[in-house]
Amino acid sequence: MGRRFRFFSLEAIRSIRANAAISFAATATVLIAIATLGIFLAVFSWSQSQINGQKDKLDLRAFIKLDATPTDMEAAVKAVQSQSNVKSVVFKSRDQVLVEARKEFGGDILDLLAENPLPATITIKPDDPKNQQKIVDALAPLPYWLKDKNSPNGFSVNQKTTRDFLSAAKVLRWGAFGLMLILVIAAVLLIGNTIRLSIFARRREVEVMRLVGATNWFIRWPFVIEGLIFGLIGAIAAVVLLIIGKVTVIDHILNLSTSPLQQQSDSTIGLPPLALILIISGAVLGALGSGITLRRFLRV
Amino acid sequence: MDTLADALDPTPQRNIALSSANDALPPDEGPAPEVPLPSGTGEFPVPEPTADDLWAEPAEELPPLTSERGRRRSMLRPGEGPMVVFEHVTKTYPGGVNALDDVSLSIDAGEFVFLVGASGSGKSTFIRLLIRELEISEGRMMVGARDLAKLHKGKIPLLRREIGCVFQDYKLLPRRSVYENVAYALEVTGDSPRSIRRKVPEMLALVGLAEKATRLPTELSGGEQQRVSIARAFVNHPALLIADEPTGNLDPETSIGIMQLLYRINRTGTTVVMATHDRDLVDKMQMRVIELAGGKLVRDQRRGAYQAGES
Repeated sequence: MGRRFRFFSLEAIRSIRANAAISFAATATVLIAIATLGIFLAVFSWSQSQINGQKDKLDLRAFIKLDATPTDMEAAVKAVQSQSNVKSVVFKSRDQVLVEARKEFGGDILDLLAENPLPATITIKPDDPKNQQKIVDALAPLPYWLKDKNSPNGFSVNQKTTRDFLSAAKVLRWGAFGLMLILVIAAVLLIGNTIRLSIFARRREVEVMRLVGATNWFIRWPFVIEGLIFGLIGAIAAVVLLIIGKVTVIDHILNLSTSPLQQQSDSTIGLPPLALILIISGAVLGALGSGITLRRFLRV
Repeated sequence: MDTLADALDPTPQRNIALSSANDALPPDEGPAPEVPLPSGTGEFPVPEPTADDLWAEPAEELPPLTSERGRRRSMLRPGEGPMVVFEHVTKTYPGGVNALDDVSLSIDAGEFVFLVGASGSGKSTFIRLLIRELEISEGRMMVGARDLAKLHKGKIPLLRREIGCVFQDYKLLPRRSVYENVAYALEVTGDSPRSIRRKVPEMLALVGLAEKATRLPTELSGGEQQRVSIARAFVNHPALLIADEPTGNLDPETSIGIMQLLYRINRTGTTVVMATHDRDLVDKMQMRVIELAGGKLVRDQRRGAYQAGES
């Protein structure tokens, strides 16, 4: 087995050397395909993390009646916590809300008022944004809520925005999947085509091998190993390029601005797993492309 | 006048026994020294060698190779009957052309057979059927007591390992040295590197190319390339050797060297089927001649000439 592998590897290296131009072309093809895939994967995972970040901000607030007693408040919080679709609950007393409001608007306006006009609030984070309405429907009948024209049932929730956001995220995700699929297919075809060129140039050799009594796999293995080597080298080069690109361009941009990008950048797909995925897919693409393409030259 | 074949040993033997002399050879020492080499072509008279001249060198049997140890089970079982049997074989190409039309014949193990006929007579089809590059349309075809129609596709390479092939255009692997070309035929069988290192130099010595082992085919003359091709065809000691116009691209004197080599291979017991247009060679050899015309078998002569009625 080991001897065979050695033989096939040597055959593959021999043929890579003998067909330098085509070997270069195949490697370059893999490089381009993998680099494109890598950029796409990074952008895709970044946008996913953005969407998830936004999703987390989709919470709803319940306003408690101004005249509620501490017991009422406690009961209200407990009622919210006992809901099944609630992920987390944050209670803020009227004083706390006032302090925050001061920070936000400046204290002057609020100081003019004799009394704190702000209600205590419960910030509710649903397990999934689409469950917002369920929570509201379940809690609304309770007597604790402050109802006015801004929050007719005592809750602040913008159903339409949530729905729009969720459907946009869905479209984005499926669109990205489709695009990635097309990209992968294009990469396979491109690599297969380049390898076909290299095999076509050697079809006479393949014919002779068959006449001498080589089995199909005996002919195929060196080609598969050759494709694997193209794939590996191309993918590693692509990863190196991506890293260089990230360090010189993206990190630079991120450092210039204190945009939310920076906080989010660590939540995109990490570089090591991305590199691993790309290198493995490069190797698999090369080997498969080569092995499959050879098939039509091996038919008796 | 006695024909040439009369003068030759009429009972060729399959020479695969271990030889103690060769066993004593160290494996990596290259060519066996006692092998007589048909070195080059200059030794043969030109332009018209007589039969005596052609075989002026003693037509010794090829020495057995040391490599017969651990010979694998053979696919072909020539001991059980003729080497090649055609029973009403018809080959029709898509489009309706009958390349072979109801051909029946039998070739015994150890025979030397010339296959003659004009271009398009079906010789190439005949040969491509033998190595199962093509399938017959009708009839039955046996090689080494194997029915080729029943041969599983995956077994075709195994069949080909036991049939040596020599072609007009040599069909050498262009980017491999002489040595590697011969070695490849052993590598496909899974032979060990040690055994390959022993067999290939022996084989190259046998065909007179020991000195050119590292050359590429393109650096050799046509005759030399054909010798490499013969070395490759014979290195597995096939039971059947097929030559498709092996001298077609060679000048007469080079052809004689090739012919002699094939004849000596035949003397080891290997059945040789040779398609040819070389009238002189066929006439001189006085071997069995099978003639095809328009896909039909028109002549099968025990000791024939190139053309009917000439011998």
